[in-house]
Amino acid sequence: MNMAENGKVSGSFRDPCGFLFFKDGLLYRQINAVYRSHYDMLQTTGLYDGLVREGMLIPHKECDDVFFNGPEGYKIIQPEKIAFISYPYEWSFSQLKDAALLTLALQKRSLNAGMTLKDCSAYNVQFHRGRPIFIDTLSFEAYEEGRPWIAYRQFCQHFLGPLLLMARVDLRLGQLLRIYIDGIPLDMVSKLLPRSTWLRFSHVLHIHLHAKSQKHFADKTLTAAVKQRRVGKLSVLGLIDSLETAVKKLKPKGQSTEWERYYGETNYSETAFSHKIHTVERFLEVINPRQVWDLGANDGTFSRLASSRGIHTVAFDVDPVCVENNYLQAKQKQEKNILPLLLDVVNPSPGMGWENNERESFFNRAHADAILALALVHHLAISNNVPFEKIAHFFSTLCARLIVEFVPKDDSQVQRLLATRSDIFPHYTRQSFEAVFSRFFTIRETAQIEDSKRILYLMENNKRPL
Amino acid sequence: MRLPLFAFGTAVFLLWGVYAHNAHAYLDPGTGSYLLQILAAFIVGGLFAVKMFWRRIIAFLKSRFSKSQQ
Repeated sequence: MNMAENGKVSGSFRDPCGFLFFKDGLLYRQINAVYRSHYDMLQTTGLYDGLVREGMLIPHKECDDVFFNGPEGYKIIQPEKIAFISYPYEWSFSQLKDAALLTLALQKRSLNAGMTLKDCSAYNVQFHRGRPIFIDTLSFEAYEEGRPWIAYRQFCQHFLGPLLLMARVDLRLGQLLRIYIDGIPLDMVSKLLPRSTWLRFSHVLHIHLHAKSQKHFADKTLTAAVKQRRVGKLSVLGLIDSLETAVKKLKPKGQSTEWERYYGETNYSETAFSHKIHTVERFLEVINPRQVWDLGANDGTFSRLASSRGIHTVAFDVDPVCVENNYLQAKQKQEKNILPLLLDVVNPSPGMGWENNERESFFNRAHADAILALALVHHLAISNNVPFEKIAHFFSTLCARLIVEFVPKDDSQVQRLLATRSDIFPHYTRQSFEAVFSRFFTIRETAQIEDSKRILYLMENNKRPL
Repeated sequence: MRLPLFAFGTAVFLLWGVYAHNAHAYLDPGTGSYLLQILAAFIVGGLFAVKMFWRRIIAFLKSRFSKSQQ
């Protein structure tokens, strides 16, 4: 994570109630005095205990022995560590949907305890042990009867709008969250949605009329008279209920992609596939990594060789349908060690937000103990014209150990990639692959996959990734 | 379709007015979003109340029905 010089987390500055900081390599949150009454209420009402018990809110320890600085501090807490930080633009449809439903459930529970969420950013949610969890302990504030829900706009922009676009227009539109860091503008959502959405009351209210209202009042401020208008608790509950019903009914737009039927169309014989599985399992036993990233994970078949051994595995893929299917499977089987995420290896998530530091780039976020790069290199080298040296360098910045598959040119899958192009890859050979990778890695083991031309390698980084 | 838009337009007209104010909230709720909530409060609150009432009716009828079956 990015750190300012004084130890504060670079992206943690917007909330006057507190901030995140590092001390001796551990992450802490300072709660400022201005938030004291709300934090105490969170504890005394039992809301904190209830939410933590049900796995909805990240647990934390109160630390009397850690001291940051400044007279504005009230308490220091240490939240439980999240294995891998991810962002809404890296989530599949159902991950965003589950994060939305969690947020609404939290708001309902808060209201029952006399509290409310003061913001509804999708960045308040992370995935922890396979489930979405709320991480912003400072989001809760005392509910004032009669006050409208301040976070309503943010919920619609961060959650409902993007989900509707992914359900009614195109699954890839969740990526707009990369451009709009405070959620997709509602006028854009309104314009992109099909006309049939005007037939549903919740879509008309929360998106279409909401967008028109925002536009109309964009340069106006509230009069004192308006601010005194009360919105009863029943109405706030009704608003939440309407949003929840709308979100629950959404399903991802069905679209078939080139990757979702991948394992039905590969050229592996049963023998070859079985041998590949055994070899990867054996390599994993040899290196016994603490966590694994699977790049180009598809539906997570190979990711699960690691995660089923209790190794925390992040399963990255460029295809939103694959990530979705992987997540739904993980959810259905209640798998705790696998996190499917959207990632385009040739265009990974950059640093975003203020000074490009609020949301970490893919490279800055963490390093993998081991990376699985199976059936990936030929797509980078051939389809994307990336030379071996750049591919090897890329891996060397990310992981200590590498399990990588080389698919030679005479393999039918590579022939398919070359079918409509000139073969401009004279250096795409096994010898060249091994020579180039050996400049960054030491090849510990090599295994020819039975009944196949493909080769699996177990490699160790010559340097620790920085 | 025209009726909601007309109702909305009337509400907008009635709520017209501009004064400066200080925002105390951490998050800017957005003037348009704030007003929409106020306008929609009655409708969403009413629908929710009906829904909760209806659920209680159904639950009551179910318990009566299952009792009479025993």
